[in-house]
Amino acid sequence: MRAVATLAWRQFLRGLRAGEHRTLIAALAVTIAALTAVGLFAGRVNGLLNSEANNLLAADAVVSADHPLPAHFAASARQRGLTLAHTQSFSSMAAAGDDAVLASVKALDGPYPLRGTLLLATAQGERAARAAPRPGEVWIDDRLAARLRLKVGDTLRLGTLQQRIGALIVREPDLALEFSGLQPRLIMNATDLPRSGLIGFGSRIRYRLLVAGDANAVTAWRGTTEARLDRGERLENVRESQPQVRRALERAETFLRLVTLLAATLAGTAVLLAARRYSTRQADAVALFVTLGATRARIRGLLFIELALIFVLAALLGGAVGWVTQEALSWLIRDSLPKALPAPTPLPWLAACALGLTLLAGVAGPTLMQLARTPPARVLRRELSAPPRLWLSLSATLIAACAVFYWVAGSAKLALLVAGGIAGALVVAGLLGWLLLKGMSRFARGFAARIALRQLARRSWLSAAQLGALAIGLLGLWLLTAVERDLLSAWEQRLPADAPNVFAFNIQPDQAQAFQTTIAADGVSGAVLQPMIRGRWQTHNGKPVEPKRYDDDRAKRLSEREFNLSWGEMLRADNRLTTGAPLADSGWSVEVGLAETLGIQVGDTLGFDVGGTPIAARVVNLRTVEWDSFRVNFFVVGTGPMFADAPTSLITSFHLPPGRDNAMAQWSRAYPNVTFIDVAQVLNEVRRVLGLSASVLRLVFVFCLAAGIVVLLAALETSAPERRREAAILRALGAHSRQIAAIQWWEGALIGATAGLVAGLAAAVTGWAVGTQVLGLTVAINWLLPLYSTAAGLALAALVTVWERRQLARSSALALIRDPG
Amino acid sequence: MTLSPILEAEALGKHVAAATEELDILAGVSFSLAAGASLAIVGASGSGKSTLLSLLAGLDTPTRGTVKLAGESLGALDEDGRARLRGRAAGFVFQSFQLLPELTALENAMLPLELAGRHDAETVAGSWLDRVGLGNRKHHTPRTLSGGEQQRVALARAFAPGPQILFADEPTGSLDTHTGERIADLLFELNASTGTTLVLVTHDEKLAARCSARLRLAAGQVIEQVGV
Repeated sequence: MRAVATLAWRQFLRGLRAGEHRTLIAALAVTIAALTAVGLFAGRVNGLLNSEANNLLAADAVVSADHPLPAHFAASARQRGLTLAHTQSFSSMAAAGDDAVLASVKALDGPYPLRGTLLLATAQGERAARAAPRPGEVWIDDRLAARLRLKVGDTLRLGTLQQRIGALIVREPDLALEFSGLQPRLIMNATDLPRSGLIGFGSRIRYRLLVAGDANAVTAWRGTTEARLDRGERLENVRESQPQVRRALERAETFLRLVTLLAATLAGTAVLLAARRYSTRQADAVALFVTLGATRARIRGLLFIELALIFVLAALLGGAVGWVTQEALSWLIRDSLPKALPAPTPLPWLAACALGLTLLAGVAGPTLMQLARTPPARVLRRELSAPPRLWLSLSATLIAACAVFYWVAGSAKLALLVAGGIAGALVVAGLLGWLLLKGMSRFARGFAARIALRQLARRSWLSAAQLGALAIGLLGLWLLTAVERDLLSAWEQRLPADAPNVFAFNIQPDQAQAFQTTIAADGVSGAVLQPMIRGRWQTHNGKPVEPKRYDDDRAKRLSEREFNLSWGEMLRADNRLTTGAPLADSGWSVEVGLAETLGIQVGDTLGFDVGGTPIAARVVNLRTVEWDSFRVNFFVVGTGPMFADAPTSLITSFHLPPGRDNAMAQWSRAYPNVTFIDVAQVLNEVRRVLGLSASVLRLVFVFCLAAGIVVLLAALETSAPERRREAAILRALGAHSRQIAAIQWWEGALIGATAGLVAGLAAAVTGWAVGTQVLGLTVAINWLLPLYSTAAGLALAALVTVWERRQLARSSALALIRDPG
Repeated sequence: MTLSPILEAEALGKHVAAATEELDILAGVSFSLAAGASLAIVGASGSGKSTLLSLLAGLDTPTRGTVKLAGESLGALDEDGRARLRGRAAGFVFQSFQLLPELTALENAMLPLELAGRHDAETVAGSWLDRVGLGNRKHHTPRTLSGGEQQRVALARAFAPGPQILFADEPTGSLDTHTGERIADLLFELNASTGTTLVLVTHDEKLAARCSARLRLAAGQVIEQVGV
């Protein structure tokens, strides 16, 4: 064994010196570099996006409970050096004179907020708060001030307390967390609570512990906290409380996964081509080794150790290049970052190495194992080689591809769509190639075309491999282009400059016309009022809904909470049916994500209690909702007749033009029953995710594009030695260089155009499928893509022909026949 | 004193399945070669010379008959067993030299010694390169060596492990007459000095005449058998 290892080490060094391992090391290193760079960069950007989204929590992480939180949560946060804050939230009446309004109260102690900004308006102007109000003081929002007709400096009654109004709340960072966010807001100091008489047995209080600090320490704290959660305790999650932000973050992740998937596809193709070339070049050495007395086990050992050494070197090189690349990418987007990216971890590099190894073992393994079976008689007859085990190659490649796809894609749907696109492209490429060869062989005229077709047919397997590799390479590039050009733009268009930034609730039907006139006077146009009614979900298929029946936390909470119901037989513009039929006389239309969480299917019967009246109907359809459109949307929608006698109110969302900040306070006074929610912060957060993701994706796109072009050239080079040898023979027989160039042009053009056409078609269809099915975007199939792609395939072929012509001009025919290399 | 045979063939044959029929590419070859002797296998192109050589060296398996090399029946050995036997007892020289292009002359000559796990590979290979007159070209790669020089490296590689038998397939076939003659001289000289048995495939009658025994093939059949 030691002798084998020593020999393998020497062979490795010798191969390195002679440049023999260059192609394989380069392909593996590019694979690992691309996956490391994309993984590291995407991970860091994702970390930043998540941490920025956490501004909506006012902290990096929050644990909450319906009872005072056990001390161990705070103790473990302190141990990790995190900053802490406690809040208690509840609803209470606030009063001034004869007016009393139910307000959402938050009692603070210590620093606050830990993330984001709590903006206050005082007599001296606006300022950001860093901690709780002084004892005896409260901060209230415009709505409460308007309803109680109070201003800064006045006092209000809160329980048994008389509190002075120290400031008006302009913006709160964690509004996202408050389900009671519809109520006017009040912030007080927690030390005032005990003597307020507000808290007693049976009070419904939400206790929260906010933590912030080093990202790794926060992650570790979340881990231990999650494991120790008891009944009634939960970790808050901005993704859950803000579906718009969740959708944006998920979409950003899917985009990055998609790009990584395409990078992995290109890399896999490069590894396959390089392994084939390595295998061809090593076959003579293996035959000689067996002739000189090496056993098969020894050969396998030699190849294994040599490959392992090649892999280690490629992993180190790729890791270094990947690291430098992601640093460069981070540097390039530094100006668009709200703060520095979190520090990189070696995990993406290890994951990239594991992916590279899977590709090497699965995609290239069978080719290399075939190499170990090279018959010794090859030393006498060079054309001998081990018969390929096609089924083994195909199944190993398939398993490796599936593993890598599932791993990188993170969702079976995305993996299947891209894999389906690739498989489809390969099948069509094979069929089209075969038909072209058959058809054109019969009808081809002219010396060059006939020779080219004959040569392609003679190396049918090699031609097929080259066609396949080229098609996959081009498909990867076109999909990348489609992601960048069509899908990313479609996402950006989802949030136009006039996306709604204000929600208005509880508008009474008889106020509708006046309300619309009022807001129109402030420059608001196109606000559509929709009916809304609160209802408690009571029965599912006739059985009472019990939260304890659900394992999932979100399902538990949803089953407890009141739903905002609406009605309308017409499907809203930003909704899309996924299953079932449109609503008719009676029935529910349920948002597909909610249906999945709660196990609701088309045909189920759901019963709601609406103001004491039970309303039951069957689920007629499931639909997707564009939560990030910021338009009014509902989880559950019924039909008009179902709610005929129910008391309803109206809801709308609209865009309040900039510079009209006072308008909301005026509206609050004019319509005291109407609740206005400013979602500008959430909108900004979604815009930030989108903007940052777009710049990141465009950079990663350029990087992957460069890697893809390398793969394409490698694919075209696959048959270069054979083509050069044939060209040399033709030249020796008297063919002049123009004739040889014409033959090579025909060969390249046939392969390039076929691969281009197929890749273009597959990319157009796959891009459309991924856009609509995975990313939930509205995109059309780009039918021009096959045309561009065919032209690109032809251009590539021309490029390679010109290059090879120059190579040929430099070498003698004899040298090329002896070593076409 | 009669030397014991080092190579024996008994009714050796090989047929391959062609598109429409079975094709005999070698049939009924029997002989016995004493250690230290030299045998030339001669015949026109396609007569089965190289096939016979590959069967005798265990590089391929016969469809009929048996081969006994260095006292061991090749038929009783699997491919690994045959490889071990070659590593122990046989050396090879080929028409196309079969040097690994990425290795230097020294590294090429070291290969069989390294495969045998010899720690003195570099010294032994170096001294054999000196012996074939390439002491000053040890660190050159095959690309920078002439055909004659490449075949010298191949000879050094073949003799370095001290084989009992040397199989040479058209060793001068790729060389011009003058260089071919010098390589042949060197081959016979080394053969004589080391006492190695030589099995030589050639279509060069002059080269064949220098051997102590001769097998002439035509269309896969032995048509002349002298000294074996």
